Order: sequence, then C-alpha cells, then structure tokens
Amino acid sequence: MSEAPRPPNLEVAGLRSGYHGVTVLKGLDFTVGDEIFAVLGANGAGKTTLLATLARLIPVMAGSIRFQGRDVTQLRPYTTAGLGMGYVPQEKGVFADLTVLENLTVGGMIGRRPHDERIAEVFELFPGLRDLQGQKAGTLSGGESRMVACGRALMQDPNVLLLDEPTAGLSPLYVDMFFDKIRELHETRGVAIVLAEQNATKALQVAHRVMVLSLGEAYAVVDAADLTTQQLKEGYRI
Amino acid sequence: MLDWLDAFLITGLFEVVMIAGLGLLLHLQLGLARIANFGVVGFWGVGMYTFGVLYVKVDWPFGDPWQFLACAAAATLVAGLAGALVGWLISDLDIDGVLVVTLGFATAVQIVATTEADWTGGAFGLGGLGFPYDIGTVKENEFVWLMITGLLVAAILFYVWRVHRSPYGRLLIATGGNEPLARSLGKPTFRTKLWLFVVTSAAMGLLGAMEAVMVRYLDVGHIGISITLAAIVGLVLGGTARVWGAVVGTVLTVGLFDIVIRTYLPLPREWYSQALPVMREVLFGLALILVLLFRPLGLLGDMRRDQLMRKLHGR
Ligand SMILES: Nc1ncnc2c1ncn2[C@@H]1O[C@H](COP(=O)(O)OP(=O)(O)OP(=O)(O)O)[C@@H](O)[C@H]1O
Ligand SMILES: [Mg+2]
Repeated sequence: MSEAPRPPNLEVAGLRSGYHGVTVLKGLDFTVGDEIFAVLGANGAGKTTLLATLARLIPVMAGSIRFQGRDVTQLRPYTTAGLGMGYVPQEKGVFADLTVLENLTVGGMIGRRPHDERIAEVFELFPGLRDLQGQKAGTLSGGESRMVACGRALMQDPNVLLLDEPTAGLSPLYVDMFFDKIRELHETRGVAIVLAEQNATKALQVAHRVMVLSLGEAYAVVDAADLTTQQLKEGYRI
Repeated sequence: MLDWLDAFLITGLFEVVMIAGLGLLLHLQLGLARIANFGVVGFWGVGMYTFGVLYVKVDWPFGDPWQFLACAAAATLVAGLAGALVGWLISDLDIDGVLVVTLGFATAVQIVATTEADWTGGAFGLGGLGFPYDIGTVKENEFVWLMITGLLVAAILFYVWRVHRSPYGRLLIATGGNEPLARSLGKPTFRTKLWLFVVTSAAMGLLGAMEAVMVRYLDVGHIGISITLAAIVGLVLGGTARVWGAVVGTVLTVGLFDIVIRTYLPLPREWYSQALPVMREVLFGLALILVLLFRPLGLLGDMRRDQLMRKLHGR
C-alpha cells in the first residue's frame, strides 16, 4: 500500500511582506521539497526579509506560507519553531551573554530526543565548538559564532533550516568547510535547507534548485543545473 | 532586652534589607531580562499604600495577624496587576520608552497618593498602622519585624540563586539579550517577560507592605525617586549580572551611609533634615560614576557563567 505523497516542506503563494508599510517582497510563489533551495540576489534584494518572513518574525502582508501542509501564515514564530522550522539569522545569531554550551542548550528546549545526544551530534558536526563550550558567545570570532548559531538551530531537530548567508565574511577555507557541512546535513539527516547567499558560485555547487530574487521579485526559480549565467546576471542587474 | 541594640541601627538595617530586596528583584528585571525599570518605587508604593489604606480604612471582621495577611496579600496582588499593566505597555518599547513609561508610572503613583487624600491622607500622611503582633517595647517589635523582613529578602535571594541555575534563567538572559532570536527559537518571549515583570512587581509590592508596617506612618515623601535610585545604585555597584550584586552593593552604599555615617558619626544635629539626604544622593552618584568608570560590570564583575557551567557539567 502506497502512502499519500507527503506535502512539500514549504509552499509559498503570493507572499508579500516588508517593513512598516514598505513592501519589500512583491508576491513570491515557490515550493521547497526535500532539497537544498538557494535564494540568490544582490544586496537589498530581499533575501533576509524572505527568511525572516518564513521564520514568522515579520508579519505577512498578503499571500500564504504552508509548512508541511499546514498553514502557518498567522502563527507566531515560537509555534513554527516548535513545528520544525530552524532559523539562523544573518546577524546577531548568538546570545552574547550565554556560553557556547548554554546557547546550544537554549536551542534544545524544543523536541523530545535526549539533550546530551543532540549536543554530541552538534559537536560531531562542528568539532571546533567542543573546546569553546565554556566561552561566552559574545567573545567568539565571526566564524565560530556562525557555527554556534547553526549548531543551536540544529538542536531543535528542524525539518527545514533557514540559513541567511552563513558564510558571509568567512575565510575561504571556512566557506568551503561550511558548504560541505550544509550538504552533509542535508544528506545525512534529511534536513531541507533554504540558503540565502550572495556567493552564487558556491551556492550553486550545493543547491538543487535556486530562486533568483531581484528587488523583491522572483526573477527565476529553476533547477540549479539549469541556471544560465545570463539569468544570473540579469537577476543581479549586472 | 536588646539593650545592646541601638534603635537607629534597627532602622538602618531595615533600610539595607529593604533596598537589597528591591535590588534583587530589579536584578531579575534589568540584569537578566534587560528590562530597565526606573519605576521601582512605584510598585513598592502601590503595595505600601494598598496595604495602608486597606489596613486602616476597612473594617475587618478579624484582627491581626489575619488582618495583616489579608492586606499584604491584597497589596501583592494589586502591585502584580500594576506590573501586568506596565509590563504590557512596555513590552514592545525600546529602552528609552521603557524608561519613560516606568518613570512616569512611579510619578503617577506618587501624584495619586497625594491627591486622593480621602483615602491616603494626602500630604498629611496616613497613620494608624501597627505591627501584627505585640511582644513588648517598640524596639523589640521593630527588631522582630526586621528579622521577618530579612527572612523574606533571604527567600528572594534564594529564588534569584535558583533562577541563575535553571533553564528559566537562561531563557531570561536569552530573551533580554536578543529577543527576536529567542522568539525564532521557539520561545514565547512576550509571555516570559510579562510574567517575570508581574511576579517581580508583586514582590516589590509585598516589600512595600512590609515597609508600611515598619514605618507605621505613610507619607508621600517616602515614595520618591530616591528609593529607585538607591536600588539601582546598589545593584549597579555590586554587579548587575550577579546573584549577590544587589546585596553587596546595597551594604556598601545604603549600609555605609545610613548606618555608619548617619548613625555613628558625630554629626551636627541640623544636618539631618537638610544636608544629609543631599549628601547621600551626591555620594551615591559619585560611587556610581566611579564604578562605571573603573569597574563597569560592578564590583563583583562578570557573571562567571562559564565557571558555573563547568561546575554543573563537570567539564
Ligand atoms: N527593518 C527594516 N526597515 C525598513 N526597511 C528595511 C528593513 N530591513 C531591510 N529593509 C529594506 O528591505 C530591502 C531588502 O533588505 P534585505 O535585508 O531583505 O536584503 P538582502 O537581500 O538580505 O540583502 P543583503 O545581501 O545585503 O543581506 C532593502 O531595500 C532594505 O533597505
Ligand atoms: Mg541579508
């Protein structure tokens, strides 16, 4: 007996949102399945706005967001987080006054699996954090705090992880490592990932599908392999 | 009995205990959840006057200690409700907004206490309060009340100590440090902050009721900003983020001034009404400036959560 097809992780229809009456996202339609979905676009294209809207931190002006078949448009962020939406913001991703271990612990208040097991998994993925666990997160380097923010989101056992430019400002070595981790996460744990990126080349190496945002509109939503340089350039308006 | 104990010393110690209690509650608000409550005296005053008015103006069918307990419970409740209202008003404001609203609330409380003279006695004050027991002389009664209030503040200290070691404490720090992030992690930050504010405001109201019993005569000059300042100076001096910060800071400020200087230094009589209160504010302000210059995290310094975590997890 075959099961009914699972609804996609995210179904976004006619999504409009922004700040204080200024519309930034001007009607987006896309779905995210079990995949790595890259959101590309120039500075100010609306990537951060989109991810924060999906995480339900910014109110929706129009349209709808369905998360695994359930309408979450009107839900509060802590409810969607409980349903399995993990979010790693572009900036200020850690609690500066808490230690690394405490940061991870705060993320792990959701979910049922044993806390220590999840911590161990995070340390396995980011071994560097093990030695830093007693350190205040406010004193970490940029790359280290990105790892903490990612690790903390993983503590929630998310089904979908929203990553906002996780490698911005990192050294090339870190960037490569991070993209490997992203792929590893998806492949070993089946976490669907929405990845906002400036770095199109890197993102296209790991992503299955991409959306090119241009001034708040979806210039293209295509398979990563099918994205042409022409589309990318026009999307970035260069 | 108690011949060794100076009556002024009891009053001075009571003041220290009281301000330390308020400072501990402020520590939960400001030190952990980063709610800059500049209206501490407002919640304290609400408790004090609710207690006083109910105790004096209502014809209770039962006597003390039940009368005291009923009025103190009502004072706690009303202060908690005030906390709910103010907490809701400031929930979305940034720090300057919080400052203005809480300061405004405290001012409003003082104004209402002055204008509603039928109830509160207004500028003349409200008498007729007393201890819910009588074991002998005034001094002995005051001493016992100091002990009871001391136990209450010790309980608050114990609660603060527990919060620091609990997931709830981490949640407060997380919410205070980065509210949107905490919310995106599945934390109901609005509810968390509001509830904290309600509980701590209620406790401030209870302390106000304790004060009403000790002074036995309520006067609106008593609920001025100097109470808030003393609590803030004590807390910041000791260390905003530390469990013992408010206690250490209050002993070093209020304790030093109200007990050592005011009680034991041979100062000219005429200083007491005019010069000393001004000197107190000046010295407190000076201490605050010096600490912020040379030890911005307070005398006790940083939170030392790293050591705490190491101890807890044995790593
Ligand atoms: N809090 C805010 N209030 C008003 N406008 C905002 C706010 N945050 C962002 N914007 C505007 O929304 C637009 C989209 O910004 P957004 O941060 O989503 O871009 P982005 O694609 O993430 O850019 P970047 O690559 O630089 O991070 C920009 O024009 C920006 O000026
Ligand atoms: Mg951005």
